[in-house]
Amino acid sequence: MNPPNTPDDGRRPTAGAGAAPPIVEAAGLTKVFPMPAGPVVALRGVSLRDDSGESIAITGPSGCGKSTLLHLLGCVDTPTEGSLAIEGRDASRLSDFERSRIRLTKIGFVFQRFFLLPMLTAWENVELPQSEAGAPKTARRARTRELLDYVGLADRAGHKPSQLSGGEMQRVAIARALANRPLLLLADEPTGELDEATGEQIVELFDRVNRDGTTLVVVTHNPILANRARRVLPMRSGRLIMESPASSIVAREEGA
Amino acid sequence: MSIRSALALFGLTALPPCAAFAVLSLAASPVVPAAANEARGPAADISAQLAASSPSDPPGVLVSRQLLEESGLAVGEVVLFSADPRGARPAPFRIVGSYEPRPDPMRLGSKRLEARLHLPDLIALMADPSDPLASESVASVNVALHDRKDAAKFSSDLISRMPGLIATPTAPPPDEADPFVVLERFHLAIAIVTVIGSTAFLLALMAMRADERRETVGILRLIGFTRRGILLEVLVEGLFIAVAGAVFGVLFATATQGIVNRFFQWRYDTALVFVRVTAPIAARCIVFAVPLGVLAGLVASWTLLRRDIVALLRR
Repeated sequence: MNPPNTPDDGRRPTAGAGAAPPIVEAAGLTKVFPMPAGPVVALRGVSLRDDSGESIAITGPSGCGKSTLLHLLGCVDTPTEGSLAIEGRDASRLSDFERSRIRLTKIGFVFQRFFLLPMLTAWENVELPQSEAGAPKTARRARTRELLDYVGLADRAGHKPSQLSGGEMQRVAIARALANRPLLLLADEPTGELDEATGEQIVELFDRVNRDGTTLVVVTHNPILANRARRVLPMRSGRLIMESPASSIVAREEGA
Repeated sequence: MSIRSALALFGLTALPPCAAFAVLSLAASPVVPAAANEARGPAADISAQLAASSPSDPPGVLVSRQLLEESGLAVGEVVLFSADPRGARPAPFRIVGSYEPRPDPMRLGSKRLEARLHLPDLIALMADPSDPLASESVASVNVALHDRKDAAKFSSDLISRMPGLIATPTAPPPDEADPFVVLERFHLAIAIVTVIGSTAFLLALMAMRADERRETVGILRLIGFTRRGILLEVLVEGLFIAVAGAVFGVLFATATQGIVNRFFQWRYDTALVFVRVTAPIAARCIVFAVPLGVLAGLVASWTLLRRDIVALLRR
C-alpha cells in the first residue's frame, strides 16, 4: 500500500532538496485577544520555520499559547502582529477564501476532540474534504479506501462516530486530515482524550505519517508523543523558550 | 280559533332570489310553548289546531332550515304568522318547503329564523285593518337584482317611471362596504400580522437551529469549506425546506379546510364557507413562504459564519 503522502505524490520535495521554500515560516507572531477585562497577550513574537518532512512537538503548560500558535500556523486565526508564510506566500495577505483553500489542500488538522461530523460515517468523513477539493469520485473512493486501510479502520468505514471508540475516532480524524495529501499536519493534543494504550497507537500512527513524508507539528502534554518528534519546542507565557539542538530547522523566540 | 301561540314578526329584510316570495325574519324564539301539549312540541300543536280549524288550504310559505329545525316543524304542516309581536290577527300558512338562507357574515351569530311568503300574502299579513288602503300599499319593497351593478340604473329607471317613488340601492358599492370586502381586508390584516409574527418566530427558530450546528459549521470551516460554499449549501437546504414546508402547509390547509368549515358551520349554524384554499391563495403562500424561509436560514447561518473558527469550535 502506498503511504498517504510521499514525495512521489508529485507535491513537493522533502527537506534538503534545496529549492523549495519552507512549508511554514513565522516571524514575530503576536496574538492579542481583546477581553472585557483587558487585552490578553497569548503569543509574544514567536518565530518558527518548518521544512518539509520535519516533526515538531510544542509543549508547555496550559494557557502558554501552544494552541494559539497552532491556529495561526494553520490559517485558522490571524496574528495581531508578525508575518506568516505558507510555502512562501504571505498568509496575512490571503483572502478568507484563499485561507480556506490552504486549510483544505495544504494543511490537515487533528484535535483532541476529534471534530468528526457526527451525522456522517467514517467513510463520509474522510471523503468530505476530497469532495470539497473537487476530487473525482473514483479518485475519492480509492483515496478513502486507502486511508481507512492505512489507519486500520477499513472494516469500520460504514460506522458513524458514535459507534466508534475514542481511538478509532482519532484515527478517522487522522485519515480525514490526510485526505487531500496535506503538506503539513497540525495536531492539538491528539492523545488528550485517549487512554495510554490507545494514545500509544495514535503516537505510532503519527510517527508513521511523518515517516511517510507529512510534516508534523504537534501540540501536546504527552511526553511519549513529544519525545518522538525531532524537535521539541517548549513554550512559556507566549514565548518559545528553547529548541532542540539536533534540529536542522531554526526556531527562535523573537528578541530572545 | 284559539290562538295560543304565534310567530313574532321581526321585519322584512330582503326579497329572495325567487321574486314570488318575500322574507320574514323571525325572532330567535318565535314560538310560544303550548301549555296543553308540550310532548308534541308547540309548533306541532299550532299546526294541528290550525289544520283542524282552517276550512280552506292556506297559502304556502317557505321557512328557513333553521326555523324548521328550531320549531320542530315539518313540510306540510300549517303554522300561524302574525305581524303583531303579541300574536294578534294571525294568518295560517302551510309550509311547502324549506330553504337555506343566503350566508351572511354580518349575521354570523344570529339564528336565521326566516320565512318567505308570496308578496300578496305578506301584504295582507302586514296590512293595518283600520286603514282601508293598507292592503293596497306597502311602505317599502326590497328588490333583488340578478346583478347588483344594475341597482343604480334600476333605481333611476323606477324613479323616472313612477314619480314620487323613492328608490335607492341598498347594497353598498362592492369595493367599499361589502361585508366580504371588509372581511377580506380583515383577513389581509391578520395575514400581515401573522406573517410578521411567524417571520420573527421563524428567525428565532432558525437562529436556534443554526446555533445547534455551530460545531458542525466550525468543523467544515476548519477542514477548508469556504463561507460562500457553506452559505450556498444553507441556501439550497433552506430552499428545499421552505418549498417543502410551503407545499405541506397548502396541502394541509386543503386537506383540513372541510373539517374547519364543517366545525364552524355547525358552530354558527350557517352555510357560510369559512376557509377555501384557492389556487391564488396557494400561490401567494408559496411566494411568501419560500423567500422568507430562505432568508431566515441565510440570516441565521450568517450569524454563525461571521464568527471565527476557534469561537465556533469552542465548547
